[in-house]
Amino acid sequence: MSPASSPPLGVFEEQVLVAVLRTAGDAYGMEIRREIERVTGRDLAIGAVYATLDRLEAKRLLSSTRTHGDGPSRRLFALRRAGAKALAETAAMRERLWKGIDVRALVRLAGA
Amino acid sequence: MPVALLRACLPRAERDELLADLLKEHAVLAASAGRGVAGQWLWRQALHSAPSLLGWSWRRSITGFEPRANTYQPGGFMLKTFFADARYAARRLRARRTYTLLSVVTLALGIGGTTAVFGVARPLIFDPLPYANADEVVTFWMPGWWTEEEFLYLRDKFTGFRAVGAYRPGDVTMRQDDGTMRLLPGRTVTSELFDVLGAKPLLGRSFQTGDDVQGAEPIAVISYGLWQELGGKPSILGQRITLDDTPRTVVGVMPRGFWFPDPAVRIWLPKVLDPAGRNGNYELVGRVGPGENVNNMATPLSRLTTVMHERFQYSAKADKTREPKVIPLRERLLGSMRPAVVATFAAMALILLIACANVAALMLGQVEGRATEMAVRTALGASRVRLVQQIVVEALIVGMAAGIAGALIAAAGFRLLATALPIGVWGKSTMFDWTMFVVALAISLGTVLLVVFVPAVSLWRGDLRGAMGSARTGGIQGRGGRLEQGLVIMEVALAMLIVSGAALLVRSVSRLYDINPGIETPGIAVIDVLSSGQMTGVARRQKIEEVRAALAELPGVHSAAAAIKLPLRGKGDSFNITIEGRENEPSSYTYFRVATADYFKTMGIHLKSGRIFGLSDKSDTTGGPVVINEALAKKYFPGEDPVGKRIMGGFRGTWQVIGVVANVAEAALTDDEEPVRYYLGDRTFWMGSNASFVVRTSNDAVAIGMLDVMRRTVGRMAPDFAVEESTTMSRVFDAAVGPARQIMALLAILSALALVLGAIGIYGVISHFAARRKRDWAIRVALGLPGSRVVQHIVGQGTALVAVGVAFGAVGTVALSRLLTSFLYGVSSVDPVAFAAAASILLVIGAMAAFIPAHRAGSVDPALVLREQ
Repeated sequence: MSPASSPPLGVFEEQVLVAVLRTAGDAYGMEIRREIERVTGRDLAIGAVYATLDRLEAKRLLSSTRTHGDGPSRRLFALRRAGAKALAETAAMRERLWKGIDVRALVRLAGA
Repeated sequence: MPVALLRACLPRAERDELLADLLKEHAVLAASAGRGVAGQWLWRQALHSAPSLLGWSWRRSITGFEPRANTYQPGGFMLKTFFADARYAARRLRARRTYTLLSVVTLALGIGGTTAVFGVARPLIFDPLPYANADEVVTFWMPGWWTEEEFLYLRDKFTGFRAVGAYRPGDVTMRQDDGTMRLLPGRTVTSELFDVLGAKPLLGRSFQTGDDVQGAEPIAVISYGLWQELGGKPSILGQRITLDDTPRTVVGVMPRGFWFPDPAVRIWLPKVLDPAGRNGNYELVGRVGPGENVNNMATPLSRLTTVMHERFQYSAKADKTREPKVIPLRERLLGSMRPAVVATFAAMALILLIACANVAALMLGQVEGRATEMAVRTALGASRVRLVQQIVVEALIVGMAAGIAGALIAAAGFRLLATALPIGVWGKSTMFDWTMFVVALAISLGTVLLVVFVPAVSLWRGDLRGAMGSARTGGIQGRGGRLEQGLVIMEVALAMLIVSGAALLVRSVSRLYDINPGIETPGIAVIDVLSSGQMTGVARRQKIEEVRAALAELPGVHSAAAAIKLPLRGKGDSFNITIEGRENEPSSYTYFRVATADYFKTMGIHLKSGRIFGLSDKSDTTGGPVVINEALAKKYFPGEDPVGKRIMGGFRGTWQVIGVVANVAEAALTDDEEPVRYYLGDRTFWMGSNASFVVRTSNDAVAIGMLDVMRRTVGRMAPDFAVEESTTMSRVFDAAVGPARQIMALLAILSALALVLGAIGIYGVISHFAARRKRDWAIRVALGLPGSRVVQHIVGQGTALVAVGVAFGAVGTVALSRLLTSFLYGVSSVDPVAFAAAASILLVIGAMAAFIPAHRAGSVDPALVLREQ
């Protein structure tokens, strides 16, 4: 149980980083938006995704390179070491937060 | 509409990719859910994205963050700053016109010159020879000494070689449609030659076995250039052209770009070889066999010489087997021109370096002058990379402008240079093409890097905050400037290399001009003719006399003569000589000339004793008269009067010495005195098909003006003579002085350029020093230091820099002057006089360049300066 060393990630930031991880190798803006939409089932504005990706890169949690293929070149994102660390810490924090809580009871309560 | 909204909010670098992806998604949605749903989706995307996008742009503008991936995108960091820097640099350059002009012109001269020299040097040094695997092709020792007999005997005995061919000069006359004769530079070759070279014809065939044996049909292979002149049609094959009054069938056309052994040669002819042919100035060229090493042909050659010795039993004196070796073809064909081209190339590269140092010093001055501006920019957060980038952009603009100007200079100077260099026909055949522009551009890019290096390092290392501080005080301790000083020293050292090289050549050439060739060169006009090989000896003798008489009648001509070979133009024929009464002495050879009676008078060759040919000699039949020179008299008749003595050899019969004339530089200017005998053309026959007509006029200007009339007279009197060359004896003398004269002229021009550039550099740096220490000087002058002392001090400083540069340059010169050794005559490559001359020229010019800013600093009013600051 070590305390987190970097500032905690926002929820949306966390989602974006996980999506980058999930779409690894093909992680460009629109693909990341689709992945988050697919998982969360929410409609998501592309502008928000891009702005967040840029902010995460400015925080040095992500890095981007340009791909050159058909059409305009895209920024392709990848997790940096600091990003991976932040994500791992967030996941650990969540686990601690939810520890001892019966999710099934919670669902039942919500359904009641 | 939603797209326009997004476009307005998006940063430039990401705009295209995001919109493209969005529209693709929209199209997919429209196909699956209908246009209405897709339209709504697009609107939602636009409206929901707008706030985030605006926030994004704002954040970027505040933090200045720009992802690395966008560096080279439109609107990305690098390009944005590059264009900003380019605009700024262009503004600065426009505002400082003198600096800009000086930099561009200086660099353009260097770039243009180097490019032009490269253009001329390329075919000689860099281009591959137009033969297959040219590395395997070699020429044999004793070029020009092989006979037909030797070649035919050895033809199938060249072990270690795939094939060996022979060739010799074979210029021919071609009768043109209008009946006049035209000279075609050609080579007489054996059937193997093209196989040895691995050269395939463009049309038809080259030579094959049997083309050079008795009874073979007379044929010819022509060059691409000649083919074009003859119409350029494929029907040329099988056509007959009349060469030396013999019809020959054209069997092949060589491809464009093929030359052998030089680009002037237009035609190759096989010759029917004579197994007993004792004379013949052939050269052998061979391709080494498989598995043989070009550099290690000692064993095959020793086998060859053994065979030669057994068959020909050479006497000890004329042993052709003494030093057998093979020479790479490239070395043989182009080697003699390389020193001149390399020396010029080196000098031009030095000029370019000087120009670079000059512009670097100028730019350094600019950087220092902008120290305050740079410091302010650093304080406001500009990184050093940005500052350096800015200078690089400025240098790039200057470099590119100079590159373009340089390419123009190269285009203009190319032809001039090609004819000024001692590379003979190569100067005429080299072409300027677009690759030179690429070269100019590449050189200018390299130049930019060189130029920008020093200012960039100074900027990188410099203490910019300190500069801001000292800007206020006027930099009383502002000494520094070591980099600038270093640059000036380098410039002077480089200039020293060129100037001393030129000084060496000036001394060498003046020594050559001091040599007395034994003839009075000014005022002699020369016309060389080649008569058809089919002309009989009697007919030729008659024609020569008719033409000579017609030339003598021309107004302005004092006398006219003809000879088979003129002085200063190579060895010519030698024949054995025997003295009557001393027939048992071993035979020896002397030069052998045939001339008309007025030859000595026309050439200005002085009679030493006896008499020269007269009218009576023409009809005399009892014994032929011969005139000898002093060297022959000294060698064969030491201590006695040669007049009246009789000699044999060469022509049949006995010949009586009637006179002794002064020695003449028969073959080359720097040769030792050589025995020569002169025969009267009327009493003998004119050997070979070459002859030279000479006429004496009052001076060179008249002689030059006479050439055209002479040419027309020859054309009218003897349509069978093709005029080879028309020149003057003074030009022949210049040519005999050799490449040194031409290199000297070039180096002298380059020296002048180096001196001007060096002077500009010294002037620039010293004025910069003086201006920086203005306040310093002003205080001293205010305290009573006389202005003259200021001038003295500053000039001293400049001269000291030059002196250091000269010292470094002198060391370099000793190492580099070896390049010039092959052009030097009577001067050592470390000639103290030349060095001292170069050093004093540089010191004087350096002091003069320093004097101008020094004078300005010394005459300034201290009150004015101090108030200014």
